[in-house]
Amino acid sequence: MTAEVQKYTREQVEALELAPGTEHQQLEGWVPELASEGDLREALEKAFDYRGDVTITTKAGKKIEAFIFNRRTGATLAESYVQYFEANVEGKQKLSYAEISRLEFTGKDRAAGKHWEDWVKAYNERKAAGEKNIALHPDKID
Amino acid sequence: MAVPISQMWTVATYVLKKRFTGANRYPLVLMLEPLFRCNLACAGCGKVQYPPHVLKRMLTPEECFAAVEECGAPMVSIPGGEPLLHPQIVEIVNGLIARKKYIYLCTNALELKRRLHEFTPSKYLTFSVHLDGERDHHDFSVCREGGWDLAVEGIKAAVARGFRVTTNATFFDGTDPHSVRAFFDEVMDMGVEGIVLSPGYSYEKAPDQHRFLGRARVRRLFRAILSNRKPNWKFNMSPLFLEFLMGDRKYDCTPWGSPAYNIFGWQRPCYLLQDGYAETFQELLETTKWEEYGVGSGNPKCANCMVSCGYEPTAVMDGFGSMRGLWAMIRGTFSRYNDPHALKLLNEFPKRESHSTLVQIESTEREMATR
Repeated sequence: MTAEVQKYTREQVEALELAPGTEHQQLEGWVPELASEGDLREALEKAFDYRGDVTITTKAGKKIEAFIFNRRTGATLAESYVQYFEANVEGKQKLSYAEISRLEFTGKDRAAGKHWEDWVKAYNERKAAGEKNIALHPDKID
Repeated sequence: MAVPISQMWTVATYVLKKRFTGANRYPLVLMLEPLFRCNLACAGCGKVQYPPHVLKRMLTPEECFAAVEECGAPMVSIPGGEPLLHPQIVEIVNGLIARKKYIYLCTNALELKRRLHEFTPSKYLTFSVHLDGERDHHDFSVCREGGWDLAVEGIKAAVARGFRVTTNATFFDGTDPHSVRAFFDEVMDMGVEGIVLSPGYSYEKAPDQHRFLGRARVRRLFRAILSNRKPNWKFNMSPLFLEFLMGDRKYDCTPWGSPAYNIFGWQRPCYLLQDGYAETFQELLETTKWEEYGVGSGNPKCANCMVSCGYEPTAVMDGFGSMRGLWAMIRGTFSRYNDPHALKLLNEFPKRESHSTLVQIESTEREMATR
């Protein structure tokens, strides 16, 4: 068990009244500086957590706009890779960390503005304005 | 008894066979997510927040069948997204019935009444309809006024046509146990086979991290809700899992008990946490660092999880794993859990006259203030 993982004792967990939850960062538009191997690994970890597309520039100069859904980390960058889906490309794609030169969080963060508090506020405003059949609708995908 | 004998027999013999063959880790329910697209936009849902090109992707029926056969679990839950939006969902369901899998098709039921004629009633097929409480509460929870009415129309139509139907509710901080108990009366009157419930959990991918109960509060809430049961209430769940929610049992998580498969692959470590994906079920079992997850690990990501996908497999394995467990399950199935202390606890919760949305605002503010 790594120290990074183990934060609570069983007794502390059992006594929790409220869950502390996870702090989500605002990453949309971010272009991380990739000066070191550690920077790249950290940025790709954030890209894996990100609920939007990112743009990867490879060392060969190719730009890939994709949703990163998985990463596998190894001892070296060459042994580590991301898996992603690219729009209009069927099937899973894979790219080694060693081939990545630049990363940009270019796509819309699909989780942003989806908090409970946002809904409560919108609901009350729409209700006060006399609106009926109030609802949130999924984003159009076609 | 809400779960049919044939289903219990299938699960019991499966568990015993696994135990006799010395299997340490084995699945009970495959969480098969054929798509993430949904026709609701529930605030705080962490399951559907993807770019459009990802939401358009779906598992094919062949991919679903391959995952089911690879995993081997006797039960398959089909959540999503909304499975009824999958154009080949009927083919998927029929293929699983042909494989004699007990299926829980988890739906918000907005499309259920319209699509019902495409399905055939079977002991293997249950529509598990998402209903989070009484009308106002549910509509506010799923961010759609009128959602409850459509879902209930679907439930009634499905019951009338002879389908197995359960309701499926998630409860968050601020839940009024009096309202939940009234909701149980209401859904049992609709003729459903049983109720499924779970506490909410602040899994990392959920955009909303502020409405979730800690374990101590979960136990109090569920002790108030589930003690002193009405005779007509039936739960389509392990009675030992319900005792766990009420604080009568201490269990560890069995994340491999409900493995999840979707367009990304086999999700590790569980249905709600997304720490990566494996290509095969075997790879999932062999390469996931299981010791880093679950309540016993101290991992903050698992701190408040008491969700059925992790703990009900533990309860089922406990129940079918020994004579003592079996007896506890039989006793729990028929007990009404009469408890004067729990009644007092229930009465300490403020009884709300209406299910005003303002209740939710107060809840959110109160919770954040105590953080």
